[in-house]
Parts: sequence; C-alpha cells; structure tokens
Amino acid sequence: MIDRELLPVATPTRTRRMLGELLRPHRARVVLAVTALAGGAAAGLLVAPLLGRIIDLVVDGGGPEAVTLPAVGLVGVAVVQGLLATLGVAQTAQVGEVVLARLRERLVERALGLPLDRIEAAGAGDLGSRVTEDVAQVGEAVREGVPALARYGLIIVLTFVGLAVLDWRFLLAALAAVPIQALTARWYLRLATPLYAEQRVAGGAQQQQLLDSTVGLPTVRAFRLAGRHTELVRQRSQRVVDLALQVVRLQNGFFGRLNLAEFVGLALVLVVGFLLVRSGTVSIGTASAAALYFIGLFGPLNEVLFLLQTVQAAAAGLARIVGTADLPEPDHPVPVRGAAPARVHVEAVAFGYRDGPDVLTGVDVDIAAGARLAVVGASGAGKTTLAKLVAGVHRPDRGTVRLAPEPPGSSLREAVALVAQEVHVFAGPLADDLRLADPDAGDAQLRAALDRVGALDWVDALPDGVRTVVGAGGTALTVVQAQQLALARLVLADPPVAILDEATAEAGSAGARVLESAAQRALGGRTALVVAHRLNQAADADAVLLLDGGKVVEVGSHAELLAADGPYAALWAAWSGDR
Amino acid sequence: MTVSTGRSVLTGSIGAFRGRVGLATLCFGGHQIGEVLVPVLVGAVIDTALRTADTSALLGWLAVLGLDFALLSVCYRLGARQAWIADVCADQRLRLLIARRLLAPAGGAEKGRLPGELVSIATSDTKRVGLVNFGLPLGLAALAALLVAAVALLRISVPLGLLILLGTPPVLYLIHLFGRPIERRSEAEQEQAAQAAGTATDLVAGIRVLKGLRAEPAAVRRYARTSADSLAATLRATRSQAWFSGTVLIVNGTFLAVIALVGGRLAAADQISTGQLVAAVGLAQFLVDPLQELGWVNERFAQARASARRIAELLGAPAAVRAGTGRPPARVDGALHVRDLRHGSLAGLDLDVRAGELVGIVAADPADAAALLSCLAREADPEHGSLQLDGVPLADYAPESARAAVLVAAHDAELFADTVRANVGAAAPGDRDLTPALAAARADQVVDALADGFDTVVAEHGRTLSGGQRQRVALARALAADPPVLVLHDPTTAVDSVTEAEIAAGLRTLRHGRTTVVVTSSPALLAVADRVVLVDGGRVTALGRHGRLLADRARYREVVLG
Repeated sequence: MIDRELLPVATPTRTRRMLGELLRPHRARVVLAVTALAGGAAAGLLVAPLLGRIIDLVVDGGGPEAVTLPAVGLVGVAVVQGLLATLGVAQTAQVGEVVLARLRERLVERALGLPLDRIEAAGAGDLGSRVTEDVAQVGEAVREGVPALARYGLIIVLTFVGLAVLDWRFLLAALAAVPIQALTARWYLRLATPLYAEQRVAGGAQQQQLLDSTVGLPTVRAFRLAGRHTELVRQRSQRVVDLALQVVRLQNGFFGRLNLAEFVGLALVLVVGFLLVRSGTVSIGTASAAALYFIGLFGPLNEVLFLLQTVQAAAAGLARIVGTADLPEPDHPVPVRGAAPARVHVEAVAFGYRDGPDVLTGVDVDIAAGARLAVVGASGAGKTTLAKLVAGVHRPDRGTVRLAPEPPGSSLREAVALVAQEVHVFAGPLADDLRLADPDAGDAQLRAALDRVGALDWVDALPDGVRTVVGAGGTALTVVQAQQLALARLVLADPPVAILDEATAEAGSAGARVLESAAQRALGGRTALVVAHRLNQAADADAVLLLDGGKVVEVGSHAELLAADGPYAALWAAWSGDR
Repeated sequence: MTVSTGRSVLTGSIGAFRGRVGLATLCFGGHQIGEVLVPVLVGAVIDTALRTADTSALLGWLAVLGLDFALLSVCYRLGARQAWIADVCADQRLRLLIARRLLAPAGGAEKGRLPGELVSIATSDTKRVGLVNFGLPLGLAALAALLVAAVALLRISVPLGLLILLGTPPVLYLIHLFGRPIERRSEAEQEQAAQAAGTATDLVAGIRVLKGLRAEPAAVRRYARTSADSLAATLRATRSQAWFSGTVLIVNGTFLAVIALVGGRLAAADQISTGQLVAAVGLAQFLVDPLQELGWVNERFAQARASARRIAELLGAPAAVRAGTGRPPARVDGALHVRDLRHGSLAGLDLDVRAGELVGIVAADPADAAALLSCLAREADPEHGSLQLDGVPLADYAPESARAAVLVAAHDAELFADTVRANVGAAAPGDRDLTPALAAARADQVVDALADGFDTVVAEHGRTLSGGQRQRVALARALAADPPVLVLHDPTTAVDSVTEAEIAAGLRTLRHGRTTVVVTSSPALLAVADRVVLVDGGRVTALGRHGRLLADRARYREVVLG
C-alpha cells in the first residue's frame, strides 16, 4: 500500500487556542448565557423547598389557606425558570453555531487552497471526512451537546449547593454516589467512542455496498452476480446488527450502574434525613425536600454522563478540523481572463513524482500563440504529466515552462485552465455551477457560453433552464452533458491558454464526436494543448506530438508526420484501420 | 411470502419477532412499575419511618426500595435487549428482502428511482419500520404504567387523582399544539442548514475541476454564502426551539403548582397524609414520562407506516422483462437473428450474425445502439419483432440463462469494490486461467502498474483506477466470462490509440470461433471485424468490411472518422 501522509491534526493546546480565538468576540454573550442558565437552574432549586414548605405547613397544622402562598411561589419559579432557560439555551446555541460556521468556512477555505498533490498524498478520503463527518459530529455536539450539558451541568451543581443549604450532611450523602458515577462514565467513555466509531464505519460500509450494488444493477444482472451481491449485503448488514447488539449491551451496563448509584445516593439521603429528623435538626419537610432534590438529579445526571460521549467524539473531530483550518492562509489564484493567446514554450523539461523515476525527460515543445497541439501516445507515456506541467499544477524538476508574452504579474497557473477527464457537476442551480468559472457573468454570457459548446438546446429544455438544480440531489446529467458543461466553464473562464486532458474520453464514441466539435469551438482564440485518444482529434490539430516513455518521439503536423511514415503514421494506420 | 401493502409489511415485520416483542413488553412494563414505585416508596419512608423515628421501619422500607431498584434495572435491561434485537433484526430482514428483489434477474425494481433513493429505502425506511419493534413494547408498557399510576393516585385521593389524570393529557396536548408549528418550521430550517455540509462535500469532491479552472476563490465565496444562509436558518431554528423548551418548563411547572396547591389543601384538611402528598407530587412528575413516550411512539408509527408503504411499493414493483422458464442447450452455437425489431428509436432492424463471426455495429445515433443493447441484454422486452439465438426466441429463456448465453458488456459497466482478480474472475466459469483474457484486454499492463498487482483492491466504482484502466479491467472481465455470444459496447473509448490497436488484435484472436458483436465507432476495432453493419435512422443501411465501407460510403466515413 501507498504510505498515506495524512493532513495535520491539531494538538489539544492548539485546538483550545483556536477555540479561544473564535470565542473571544462573543465573550459578552457567553457570560450572558452562563448567567441565564445558572439563574434558571437556581430558580428550579426553589421548587423542592417550596414543596417542603407546603408539607411543613401541613404538618404544623396551618390551615388550607396557608398553602396558597408557596403554590403561587411555584408558579413564579416556573415562569422565571422558563424565561431564563429560553434565554440561556438560545444564547449558547448562538455562540456555538456562529463559532462552528466560522470554523467550517475557514476549513473549506484552507482545504480548497491545498495543492492537489498534498490532497492526493493524504488520500481524498481524509479531507472528505474532515469536511463532512467531523463537521457534522462537532455540529451535533454544538447543537445537542453543549446547551444541554451546560444546562444540566448547572442544574446538578446547583442541586448539590441546594442540598448543602438544606444541611451539609445531605450533600455528603448525595456525593457518596459520585464515585460510582465517575467510574461508570470513565468505563463507558473508554468503550463507547471506539464502538460508535466502528458502528459509523459499518453503517457506511453497508450504505456503500447497497449503493455499489444498486448503481451497478445492470452489470450485476449481465454477469449474473446477484447471489454474490446479496451475500455481500447480508454480510455488511450482519456486521451492523452485531455492533448494534454490542451497543445495547454497553448501554445496558451503563444504565445498570447508574441505577445502582441512584439507589445508593437516595438511600443515604433518606438515612441522613431520618437521623436529622430524629435528632430534631431538620424538619420532615426539609428531609422530603432533600429526597425530592435527589430524585430530580436522576434525569440530568443520566443526560450529562450520556452526552459526555458526544463531546468526546466531537473533540477528536474538532482536532482534525482545526488541524486543517490552522494551515497557513492559501495563496488563491487570480485568474487571467480575456487576454490574447500566448505562446507556450517548454524547454528541456524533466519531471518525476516525489521519489519515483523521471516520467518526462528532455521534453521540448513549442505551441504558437492560438495554435492547437495534440499530444498522443500510449498510457504511461507522460501525456497527462506534460499537461499538468504546462498547467502549472506541478513544477518541472529541470527545465522551464514559460508563456510568451508572460502575463504581467501572474503565474503560469493563473493564465492556464485545465479540463480533465473527470466530470463533476456542482450541486445546485446550473447557473451557479457556471459562475464558478466567472462569478461576474450575467445570464446572457452564460447562455452565450452554453450556445458556443452546443449545450443551450438541452439546457433550455431542462425544467427551469439555467436555474435547474443539477448534480447530486438534482437533475442527473449524462456524461456528455456534464462534459459540455465543463467546456462551457472553460469558455467563461476565458484563459489565454487551455488544456484538455482526454476531456472527451468517457463519453463513448458517439458522444465523443459531439464533444470534439464542442471542444473545438471552446478552444477558438486560445493556445491549446489537447491530450487525445481518438486520433481524428490529432488530425484536426495544428500540430501533433507523439510521446513514448517520457520522451518526444515525433512532432509535426498530421500531414507531415503521415508523409514521414514514422511511428505516428503506423499508429494512424492501426487506428483508422486503413491497412 | 406475498407482500402487497404497507400494512402487511408492517405487521409481517412485527410478527416475525413477536416473541421478543412480547417479552420486551412484559419487561418494560415491569420497569415502569418499578419507576412508579420509587416516589411511592419514598413517601412510605417519610410517613412510616421519619414521622415515627422507627429505625426498623426505615431499614425495612429501604430494603424494599433496593428491591424496587433491582427490579426496574433488570427489567429495563432485559426489555431493552429483547426490543433492540427485535428492532435491528427486523431492519435487517427487510433490507435483505429488498436486496433480493432489487437484484432479481427479471429486474424492474429500480425503475423510476434513483440509486440514492433505493439505498435510502433499504436503510432509512427499513430502520423506521424496524424501530416499531422497539416502540411497540415501550408504548404498551407506558400504557400499563399509566394505569398503575392512576390506580395509585386514585387510592391516595379521588379528587387529587382525577385532577392529575384528567389534567395531564390536556397539558401535554397543549405543549404538543404549541410545539407542532415550531417542529415543522425547524425541520425545514434544519434542511436548509444541512446544505452547508452538502456544498462543502460537493466542492471538495470537485476540487480537481475547481483547480483546473483556477476557481478556488469563487468556490470559497460560494461556500461562505451557503454557510451564512445555513447559519441564519440554524439560528432561527434554535431560537424557536429555545422558546419551546422554555414554554414546556413554564407549563409543567404551573401544573405542578396546581397539584401542590390542591394536594396541600387536602393534606391540611387531613384528607390525605403528608407521605401521600409527597407521593402524589412524585407521581404527577412521573406521569409526564410515559405520556411523552406514548406521543413519541405514535409519531414513530406514523413514520413507519409511510416507510412501509415505500417498501411495499418497491417489493411489489413489476418485473422489467417477461420471465421465460427455458434454458439454452448445453452447447450454444451462437447464431443471432434479429427480425423487424422496433424498440425505442429502432424502426424495423434486421440483423443476422453467423455462429463464430466477429461483427462490428456502427450506430449513427447512440439511441439506436442503446435500444438494441437493452433488448439483447434482456433488460427490456422488445416492443415489436424478435431476437433469436440459434432459432429460439431469447425471451423463452429465463433472463439469467439468456444472459449466460448472450453476455452484453455495457460501456459504463461497473467495477465493484474488491480485488482486480475478483472483478476479472467475477463471471468466469470455474477455476479458469484468467491470463489470456487479461492479455487480450491489455489489462495485464494495468495489473503490472498496480501496487499489489492482480490482488490490488479496487475502490467502489473502480474509482482508484483511471478511466482507461477501468475500461480494460471491465473488458477482461467480459472476455474471461467466455460466453457463447459476447456483445461489447464501446469497450475502448478511454484507452489510448496504441493500446486500442493491441486490444483489437487480442480480441480477434481470443474470440476466434466464438460469436462476438462489437458496437462501436472505433476504426481500430471495426478493422478487425469480419463484417461491419451501419445502423442509421433505426435500421441497417450498409453492410460490409470496414475498409470497403470507408472507401465506398461517405456516411460511414463521416460517422467513424468524424
């Protein structure tokens, strides 16, 4: 396997520092939130003493009318508690969500700024999972974990305070349960986080298998693979079931231990109450209030201990997010648009990937301004590498790639656009997809670009024209349509130099013809380098370059090379079947 | 089993695990009773032990309290285990039923549904139906708990009991009414909030395209906009949720105050004891849980019914092709006869392929090729006309037998997440040597270039391979299957011209004497065919060797050489 150079993960210190940085502008709000939540929890603590007061009044034989005042007090507590909880939860969520939004924006900015070879070295999955799963996990913690944790945590702390106020010995009794709870939480966290992670992986694998089998249904049928695929689905599904049973075992153990803690604490509180009442230190009402306080802790304690897991899992995700968001600010390109075509000058270029052998050696190419060069050759001859060097994606190890005239103040990458075989339609309205290439383009420009690549007819036939939602979750486009869209983006990006790397290859032979004529129109008025599979593309180009084993074998016009009767002529004869 | 309606899917799913569901109901019931008893027992401790300072009464009641905790804990765990098993196993059972239907040779289940939708039915919908097996025992136990609590309350005091029992449902209903619009709104807002995640994933997935266009700044701005919109939506949603939870606190607290007021007056008038007052307050607080649980179970049932309907529709989807029952003879000669085929854009296509012949088909309109291929692959029954294999209509055979005799390898055939070896050998008979197929498809080059050679694991959709590598592995798989009749559609579009010429030669040699049809406009492949057929306007317009057609037919030249 290839060694993966994963993207950085932030240290806890660095994560805390960044969180602090992001939280700083919201200090006032944080104080307000904590104050509101604490106030609400404190108000809630008055419930038990008020109930205790009613009991005391009853025991002391105060008439039925005496009960009214504490009852009205209970209503007041409820209102105050409700209003403060609303304020506290809303403010906590506000801070959390705003910080999360800043964090994810910074993550995406830094992620998109990473050089391609860095992303590939890490594996595409690494960045993808940071942008999706990690952000989702932290979001879940922010949405469900943090406000609840803050609220219940404060309730617990203040309940303990309340118990101490009733009598410090009640607090001691209640604290006797804490070691059990602490051990339970530690035990649970140790087992739960890896188990839940495994569960997510298994769920993902099941989903992926189903998608794999479903997308490939025609293939499954053609090759009669239904039995094997049913078995694969069964295996993945069984794994999910097995893990679910492990989870229920774990949660059962968790709740069982907490039940024990509840009983121990409650029994001790009652014993202390008994002793204190017998010695006349506290009233029966106070002892009742203490018991009610403690029963009231069951829910919040369960919630907090359970939520700790969400927070722990989120912390791991947060470290990965911060690791990426913390990268130096990228040097985003400023595309050169609408400049006159430039001459491309490649001189004595050699290049190898990382520590591998040279993929290209001693390559000299000259493309006249506005001319089209077709690059042909077998797989592994170095065609795509040459394309990437001219596009400025990689820098040559030796030799130079220059434009003449050099665009003032711009790098190679900013002057050259590259359209590759890979088709991706960006999810959302089709117009937004196109505007990635030219954010300022008006509708008329979009339509002109679509028209130029022969896509306007089918775009107009879409339900909402250029506003139709396409890509993932929207109207599905064919491979040919998606690649036409890529060419329309190229027209809008309007670079002086354009590179097509097998941009017509995935389409099938009939689609390839449609795309070739679209490409020809899109390339008009630019200097172009086209990596070609179908040799008719070479025949149409101004010049042809034949690569083999990273070296230039032949270069010249199609007619010249046929006349020379060299390797290209042989290739042409084999391709066109003209023997 | 016959599945026709959502209802039968739902009842079938519960029925398959009725033993566990029943046991879970009993256990959850036991747990609820245990929970009810906690405040009752605390009341008893206060009444009998604290008021009288009776140590033995204290110890006695604490022992009972301990037993109660043991009961509620054990019951909950047993019940959760049974209900959970019933839940996940029901989920799995439905998923496998769906997978079997989806993968059935006669096809048709995927018609009109996108893959993502199908996967969502096979995961989310099955999960919702499965969850009923957890919700049902929970709901039944909550009902039982309500009954027990009602009895306990009424025994303490009829007026106080009635106040609590009759007052609680309207209070919960009020909360529900108040929460409904907020819930609906926040669902819509959460959907909008989820868009930030979707956009980020999408932009990262298309990062090569973005970099090629130098569009990173535009993409970053676009994401910032989506993220800001999502943030605004989330904030609206959380604010209304905060108001909702605050209101719940106020309503519940006020109701508790009313109970305390009424109970306190009753106790002051000596109609109930102090301990009974404590117990009544505790019970009133307890009641909220089972009532909310019932509401939760009710919602899950509504969701499960909708999911069960979708599952039933999928399971009951009509087959795509008529399922014949015959099987081709052990030896298939491989002569194909297509007569007056009208299907899609085809307008009366006649075609004869002799046994053992290599025939190229050039379709000027890709729709013609697609229509012919879907009939040959038994993906669709022809609208009119017939396709015969050695004189027997293909439709007479069971679809899987027909496909064993006539293998159509589609242009966009999928590779599956597995080793290259497993992919290539997927349909190869027995322990056949895969080397000749690999060599003919020039997939040997691919294997040599991979880190673990033939045993390299390919990611789903063959994503870890380049387009050209993928195509060669897929071609090797089709060749290794060695069917009597092999139909290839555009097998080399992503392969460079040098390799393509080698593949053409390899194909010719490997398939010698076996019927092979190549639907393509690649001159290199057409050049090795015994005969080439030009299909234009839905019918055959020219027939002959590639070189002849190139020389004689302008239309052919135009279609093939572009």
